[in-house]
Amino acid sequence: MKKDPLIIAFCCNWCAYAAADLAGISRLQYPGSIRIIRVMCSGMVHPDMVFHALEKGADGVMIVGCHPGECHYIKGNEIALARADIIAETLEDMGWERDRFQMTHVSSSEPERLVQAFRDMHERLEALHQNTFAGVEANE
Amino acid sequence: MKDKRRPRLSFVWLHACSGCEIALLNSGERLPELLNKVEIVHFPLLVDHKFGGEQEFALPEADIGFVSGGVASEEHLALLYSMRRTCRILVSLGTCATHGGVPALRNRWTAAATLETVFGDTSGRATVAAEMPALLDRVYSVDEKVRVDFCLPGCPPHPEMIVHVIETLMTDGQPRLPGKSVCETCPTIRTGEMHRTVRRFLNNAEYDSDEPVEEMRCLLEQGFLCMGPVTAGGCGGLSVPLCVQARVPCRGCYGPVRPEGNQLLDMLNVLASHGVDHRAIVDRQSLLRFSGAHGLLRLTRKTK
Repeated sequence: MKKDPLIIAFCCNWCAYAAADLAGISRLQYPGSIRIIRVMCSGMVHPDMVFHALEKGADGVMIVGCHPGECHYIKGNEIALARADIIAETLEDMGWERDRFQMTHVSSSEPERLVQAFRDMHERLEALHQNTFAGVEANE
Repeated sequence: MKDKRRPRLSFVWLHACSGCEIALLNSGERLPELLNKVEIVHFPLLVDHKFGGEQEFALPEADIGFVSGGVASEEHLALLYSMRRTCRILVSLGTCATHGGVPALRNRWTAAATLETVFGDTSGRATVAAEMPALLDRVYSVDEKVRVDFCLPGCPPHPEMIVHVIETLMTDGQPRLPGKSVCETCPTIRTGEMHRTVRRFLNNAEYDSDEPVEEMRCLLEQGFLCMGPVTAGGCGGLSVPLCVQARVPCRGCYGPVRPEGNQLLDMLNVLASHGVDHRAIVDRQSLLRFSGAHGLLRLTRKTK
């Protein structure tokens, strides 16, 4: 049985959420596995929130913020980038695969870039699940 | 108490060092006052009282029970279940009981690997294992195994705090912890300027030993890995945190500030959001040295 992955995307209010809005207006398609959570800035997403999402059943988590240097709050996305480093490094400590987390930068005028990032994440998680199940069957 | 009966206290230790019990005995003038108001029915550190072993325990009924230490073996588990059955109120005492403590560091490896490493002879066989109760797969905190009415962390908890908890529970009140971090109780000077990397504590911090600790620069800002921001405060009572009094960085012994927090993740987050290079930390997982229960420390992939 194939189950769609569930992806939580923390989108910053000023760039990523606006881009998602524009993607909707432009009728761009992206996988239904994405659940967007609007945050005021990518820099307010504490690593605890990412791990909490995974523990509560999300298959993957994305943090989407403005391009470096274009943060509405001057350096919030730099903090997010530094945090993304430690999230990526500690994922394996906590028993999760590295592929389950992604940090992406988009501007509010780049809906295609956002949609592409969503699609890539969806495909990566599908591949991850396929590999996991293939591994289970091989062990049996 | 309506029936004029003294409240009965019961203490057991599991995977513990007895430091929590000794902290209670260290509460000075308040101890004799307390002893006049309670009846201690079971306390292995003070009273020789046979209560069985291995799987069968006969613990006396008590109003308030204190458990120190994490749950590491089948024997601990049976003793804990027996304690829960016989105590009206159960308190987990000390960081081992609330968050796993130092013994939970073994959660990074399998129980078999731990036995081989610790008790192995030259051929790698575990020699003492046969005489020991069977180890559980990992070290659990008390609240992972039974319902706990109050968690009092600390390594050991401050003596005043233990007495406060006992006295409050005796009157059917609900004790309260400060709920603050070590940093909030620390008087050192903070400027907001961080050292860019994490320095190992091979040299002393910069301070003038003739000056009081209030004149010292924050140790985390000096680049030492001080766990203050992510550790529950209260170790110094109403005065300066104990490690900072000794001019060394906080080790994190009171566990996370929020009971469900993760000291490793929160500490790395503190460093990352202040632009400090966290890669200089030699052994990242040792940041969970006091709070490895609740499944926070996982088996490393290198384990067989």
